[in-house]
Amino acid sequence: MAIRFLIRVLAIMTLAYLMLPLIVIIGASLTTSEFLAFPPQGLTLRWYEVVVLDPTYVDSFVTSAILAMLATLVAVALAVPAALAIARHDFPGKAAFSSLLLSPLVLPHLVLGAALLQFGSSIGLVRNFSALLVGHVVIVTPFVLRTVLPLLSREQQTLEEASRDLGADAFTTFFLVTLPQIRSGIISGAIFAFITSFINVELSIFNTTASLNTIPVQLFNYVQYSVDPTIAAVSAATILAAVVAIIVLDLTVGLDFLSENE
Amino acid sequence: MTASRSVILGLVALPLVYFTAFFLVPLMTVFVASLTDAQQGGMTFSNYARILLDEYHWSVIAVTFRLGILTTLICIVLGYPLAWYLVRIVKWRTWRRICVILLVLPLFTSNIVRSFGWMVLLGRNGLVNETLQAGGLIERPIRFLGTETGILIGLVYILLPFVVLTIGNALAKVDHSLEQASADLGASSASTFWHVTFPLSIPGVVSGSIIVFALAVSAYVTPALLSGGRVTVLAVLVFQQYSSVFNFHYGGALAITLLVFTLLMIAIASLVSRLGAR
Repeated sequence: MAIRFLIRVLAIMTLAYLMLPLIVIIGASLTTSEFLAFPPQGLTLRWYEVVVLDPTYVDSFVTSAILAMLATLVAVALAVPAALAIARHDFPGKAAFSSLLLSPLVLPHLVLGAALLQFGSSIGLVRNFSALLVGHVVIVTPFVLRTVLPLLSREQQTLEEASRDLGADAFTTFFLVTLPQIRSGIISGAIFAFITSFINVELSIFNTTASLNTIPVQLFNYVQYSVDPTIAAVSAATILAAVVAIIVLDLTVGLDFLSENE
Repeated sequence: MTASRSVILGLVALPLVYFTAFFLVPLMTVFVASLTDAQQGGMTFSNYARILLDEYHWSVIAVTFRLGILTTLICIVLGYPLAWYLVRIVKWRTWRRICVILLVLPLFTSNIVRSFGWMVLLGRNGLVNETLQAGGLIERPIRFLGTETGILIGLVYILLPFVVLTIGNALAKVDHSLEQASADLGASSASTFWHVTFPLSIPGVVSGSIIVFALAVSAYVTPALLSGGRVTVLAVLVFQQYSSVFNFHYGGALAITLLVFTLLMIAIASLVSRLGAR
């Protein structure tokens, strides 16, 4: 029982460690002082006002959101057919195909970013929105593939066959039988994809410019030279966005994945 | 399989073309450039020789991998009890759900934001130093920023949730009847843990370690922000070459070196786990 108590204390402390920097940022963004202070000196929302009135921050937020949304849509369009092919069909090179699509998960993003910059500069695909999008699609597609694949089980396949036997064509079967079964996988994969794109620095940093910037890269450039409560307010805003995304994820697919199935 | 070839082709074509064009070909470009002479063209190993025959580069590689290994070990030591707590000790579902949300929240937040939080906390007059001084544990503030310790704290922080999730998933799958049998046969709870539960959770530990290690050695943002330019890791060297020096040949060799070392460590880790599982 003593060990149980020790684990409990250790676990709570680790959770607190995980929360600490986030709390510090949110706290520091509310300070009334001109410099970054934690605990905050007084409470104000004026740094948020500064951010909202600054078009460069707003533009970066919009760029990041559109980029993440488009990257996620393309990723779903690529990953769902790929998952169907891998789960339902046999073809030569299947294993290579699936590891090709999953390998961006373990490949250093910085290496991929450098590679895309070098390759892109030879075909004129650099420092514009398309260049950003192309790279983001590569790193987020595996997330959708990985969440959709396990849902395409064998039992699922018999349902599809039954549908075909009853006279439904391939499209009807996909939309009425397959899609409802993999919907939760698509949703959770898409949320992970969106977030991964939205917070990416290592890939975007090669293709952003002063006029075309994503919010994490802009933060990165600022934080290296100066820290003030405005930066804390922008950071806190992204934390709040993350909270919203997690609550959506929890309500749609449920985050209860560490419970034992007894 | 009754499906015609055209169906398979229809499903595979687009993803295959996309990943070939924007993943495989760019990586090949880097590889080719790394083997090409910067001045005369033609094939050469000189870019790699410049890295592998040089003491400075080995010291950077050493720092990178020391940080990777330490981060992985500390993540396991901190992550295992938390995973155990969430899966085995928490009985109230709502609390577990809140804990999982708290665990995932940092993952949904940019590395920048999280490292920035540590910059504030670890500064000379940051909360960590002030608390330690107020507690009488230290007399003068410790310098964290610009040291390997600072980077380590940041990396552990950023990568810990991955280990907790993979270990937690493995623990949740452990069959209770095996532990029951062990207890019925007279084993103490410690002995049941070390001989039954822990071995069954090893796949989770290994897959978590691989993710953490791969992400730690290739991390750029956290070392860049917490090192203040004083500690150099491999990813920082790669970035310098591509962003300011524009030497794609030497930079490519650095990128490939990082890639090869990472994949090598992952291969070793999975080999060790496969041998251990026997």
